[in-house]
Amino acid sequence: MTQQDTDLAIIAGFRTPFCKASGAMQGAAAADLAAHVFREVLDRTGFDPAQIDEVLLGCAGPDAREANVARVAALRAGVPASVPALTVMRNCASGMEAVLQAQTRMRAGEGEVFLVGGAESMSNFPLLMGPRLVKFFTNLGKSKNAIQRMRAMLQFRPSALKPRIAVMEGLTDPITGLMMGNTAENVARLFGINRDSMDAFALQSHQRAAAAQQKNRFASEIVPFTPPPRFQAMLCTDDGVRQQQTMQALTQLRPVFDRNNGDVTVGNSCQITDGAAAMLVTTVRRAKSLGLKPLAVLRGAASKGLDPAYMGLGPVHATPRALQTAGIEFKDLDLFEINEAFAAQVLGCMRAFSSDSYCRDQLGLSSALGEIDPSKLNVNGGAIALGHPIAASGARLLITLAQELRQQNKRYGLAALCIGGGQGQAMILEAA
Amino acid sequence: MNATTTHEPKNPVPTTAPLVPCTIDANGIATVRLGRADESVVTFTRERLLALGEVLSSLRQNRALRGVIIAGSAPGMFCAGADINLIHSIASVEEGTAAANTGREVFQLCQQLPVPVVAAIEGPCVGGGCELALFCDLRVASDHPATQIGLPETKLGIVPGFGGTQNMARLIGLPNALDMILAGKLLKPVPAKKKGLVDRVVPSDKLLSTALAELQKLIQQGKKAPKRKLRGAAFWFSKTPLRAIAARAARKALSDGPAKFYPAPRLALELCLQAFTQPVAQGFAAEARALGEMIASPVSKALTHLFFLTERSKRLGKQPGAADLSRGLIVGGGVMGAGIASLLAQKGLRVRLCDLNGEALAKAKARLQDDLTKRLKRRHMERHEAQAVQDRLAVSSDWGSLVGVDLFLEAVVEDLAVKRKLMSEAVARGLPADAIIATNTSSLPVFAMAETVPNPERVVGIHFFNPPEKMPLIEVIRGKHTSDAAVATACRLAVRLGKFPIVVQDTPGFLVNRCLAPYLNEASRLLLEGNEPEFIDRVMLDFGMPMGPCRLLDEVGFDVATKVSEVMSKAFASRMQPTPLFAAMVEKKALGKKSGGGIYAVRGNRPGPGVQVIERLRKERGMPTRQASRSEVLQRLIYPMIDEAYRCLDEKIVAAEQDLDLGLVMGIGFPPFLGGVTGFAQREGLKTIVLALDELARKTDPRFQPSDGLRRRSLA
Repeated sequence: MTQQDTDLAIIAGFRTPFCKASGAMQGAAAADLAAHVFREVLDRTGFDPAQIDEVLLGCAGPDAREANVARVAALRAGVPASVPALTVMRNCASGMEAVLQAQTRMRAGEGEVFLVGGAESMSNFPLLMGPRLVKFFTNLGKSKNAIQRMRAMLQFRPSALKPRIAVMEGLTDPITGLMMGNTAENVARLFGINRDSMDAFALQSHQRAAAAQQKNRFASEIVPFTPPPRFQAMLCTDDGVRQQQTMQALTQLRPVFDRNNGDVTVGNSCQITDGAAAMLVTTVRRAKSLGLKPLAVLRGAASKGLDPAYMGLGPVHATPRALQTAGIEFKDLDLFEINEAFAAQVLGCMRAFSSDSYCRDQLGLSSALGEIDPSKLNVNGGAIALGHPIAASGARLLITLAQELRQQNKRYGLAALCIGGGQGQAMILEAA
Repeated sequence: MNATTTHEPKNPVPTTAPLVPCTIDANGIATVRLGRADESVVTFTRERLLALGEVLSSLRQNRALRGVIIAGSAPGMFCAGADINLIHSIASVEEGTAAANTGREVFQLCQQLPVPVVAAIEGPCVGGGCELALFCDLRVASDHPATQIGLPETKLGIVPGFGGTQNMARLIGLPNALDMILAGKLLKPVPAKKKGLVDRVVPSDKLLSTALAELQKLIQQGKKAPKRKLRGAAFWFSKTPLRAIAARAARKALSDGPAKFYPAPRLALELCLQAFTQPVAQGFAAEARALGEMIASPVSKALTHLFFLTERSKRLGKQPGAADLSRGLIVGGGVMGAGIASLLAQKGLRVRLCDLNGEALAKAKARLQDDLTKRLKRRHMERHEAQAVQDRLAVSSDWGSLVGVDLFLEAVVEDLAVKRKLMSEAVARGLPADAIIATNTSSLPVFAMAETVPNPERVVGIHFFNPPEKMPLIEVIRGKHTSDAAVATACRLAVRLGKFPIVVQDTPGFLVNRCLAPYLNEASRLLLEGNEPEFIDRVMLDFGMPMGPCRLLDEVGFDVATKVSEVMSKAFASRMQPTPLFAAMVEKKALGKKSGGGIYAVRGNRPGPGVQVIERLRKERGMPTRQASRSEVLQRLIYPMIDEAYRCLDEKIVAAEQDLDLGLVMGIGFPPFLGGVTGFAQREGLKTIVLALDELARKTDPRFQPSDGLRRRSLA
């Protein structure tokens, strides 16, 4: 199958540096980050924002003051008020979902130019009032006279002050009650993945990211950012990458999710990070008529659900459908970007891709999809080193993959994420 | 147009002059308009005051009258106060006093009417307009963006003369009144309401209905005016002997620095005090007398002259062919580039500031944020507005695309080759053909930059002064190739930024730096002759300069001074030879404030490292000590500056004397109360100046030789 006029072409894509939560970018809300990358995409392409049909931004935890963070960021970036904006949410794939939504609209004839991306400020995930505190304030508010007020006040217990931590609750699956790390333990057990291979994978992620930083590989995708509220620093690099990471340091870490019998540690899990990424996407037809040279073209995409207890294997479930829509075979893929939520989960995916029984029983295929050559997977490191600002990651994978296809002069690449709640999303890019 | 309609045929129709239309409705509510609907600016001329007097007098005869609303001419215009031409034309104390009494007596008719009078304020309500509103029984203001209320008279060297000091002090209390009147502060509606200056603030389209509702409330209550009382601090510092404390603090602030050259605020202070110590009539009489004295004074004449100059400069922003710029690319993230970019962002342009030094860029954002934070704290701005300003300023080492950029401005090092390269690069990278290409050069020829650019007619100099956020002047430099449209667009931008543009020709130093060069050069000579820097600076401060020349050198920095003086000495060798001091200061790294001290230490009046540099230089060269007298210092510093200014006029660097006056007042801080450089020269006598310069030239050095043009003028 060849490229269609209505296929989605990525014209340009940039991201902020990814910085550890409660760190350098703590003062920036998701809208600050998104507005910055949006503006940079517009300024660097020189594209007239009035020609944009819609702005689509993924965000898993927008601030209460900017629930439709896409709209806030678009206006702040200088997109005219007449251009609509929508915030999309599919947990970890929200940034990729924005691209998928753009593709769907293009195919339906609902617009040809979209400003898309994902932004997350995990620093600013709120502490919520617990239900007892909420009840206390409600009762106090309802009191009509001094006696009732006094009675309501007397109901107060200090223990009610215990907050709900949004970031922790967001990382817990409400259906199974498992934290994300526990689902990774499940995947590890399913395929017998041991602690050493997880740590080795994590080390490799740091080493690859450090090497990429050294050869300035990210210069083509990072737009430096001066963070509010004081704007005193110019942030240019991802600060989670550990140049000096050693195996020994990784092995000393204690498991966090299953403290007694687990293998998943903070060292072999993704980092909690702030960041945003954005792309200007158009139809292939519009790119041609405007004389724009795309970075890459989206050839296939799919979302798929699976058992939430094994959510880490989501990419494996979404990929067959993505390949089918692209009209290519697994062996045609030259590069892979699979989001590193957990080392255990990426390793699990590699096993599942090459497992006849898994592909047959779980996916209904006749045989295994194929082997992933580790030298083609996450060649510049992944979320374990760079961090995983939830909604920004999907967009980052696509930008990184598009740039890498171009630099290595390769044709097809797969970007995929596992999604909390038991889903996977995958996209296939073809170098333009 | 029939301005008068009445539904009560039995009652006499008020005779209205078309200048002040008045209508009366069936309920006996009169609406007095201060101007015709087609007047976009309303001022109190003699005729309009008389017309208002007639309208109010005739309303007094009207038995059916139940209330009066006084409103402006059109949406967004109440009254901009007394006509400045009128103020400027009054030459004697008696004439001024009489004019004040006449005007106030007209306004007092509002009080004498038996019915309530409500002012419906939208747009400027300043000076005389504000004083009329203060005589009304109640004030309703609209939240229209043009609405401003206050008494700015002291800025013109006069005091409010139509009862303003008395009424405002009584209405809002002594401390508030002093705060407003002494500085000539104008308030937006919401702060005005907070101070008690207006009673209600409403949306624009509800102004008249609210005014009517308030009027009817008063009518129903059978009251002429609501009861008013000062409360809290306003009460204690006005109505009790504690007011002496407020007065003392204000007096102290007016006795220091340049304030001592301006008598009007001091008089206004005493008048405000009288509002609480003397009967009303006496206060009014004293106020009229004070206005008479001030209006005839040379300071007031100088300040009104300056006002006309600023109005003239603002008109440069409205020339035909001027484009409105919306998107700027500023290259060069130093103090100037960062300041200019911040200013553009604050005034609504989308700006990209580019520099290879990321630290400088972050500093630019941080400095802007400091400024915004200050304004947030003072509540001059809301959080979302500050955020929008920051959002408009992008900083990057990457220029991005130049598509859609309509202003390319460079503020990089003063190096012709670098500037040329940047401009060519901008064009090569797709800068639209109709974009303005601007340079902030202070010493390089604009035409030489334009030569490498296709369509060189759009290359124009926009010379900001340091710091760009604060300095009010912009020199718009017309190069050999520069088109009228480019000059017009640059002027329009300057006005939009709240600056005063003057158009100058493309010669070394343009106007301001050229006139400044002999002044700073001469200061360095005086230093090398062994005169104390404090003494030199003191003479200039007493002359009325905002800062002495030695302090100014520290501020500018000796590195910059050296660079400028090289250019100037090359161009004007006979009279602008640099002294060895600049180079010596640079060599010893005593650059001034930026390097940790020059002639003075960074803070305070203590001597800096430069004093030793001067001493060593004097010893090495065996320079004799020559103590200059005060008058010699003044003559040597100021007279050559005057000569240079007239040379600029004769060489057509600027078009008119007005440009000299505005340029030197706004660019150098030449004392405003002296009426600009030409005003001062006329007063001092051109003959005296030429004689003194001849004498200096004969006795010391031919550099003082006055120009032929100045000599010719002195003989005329």
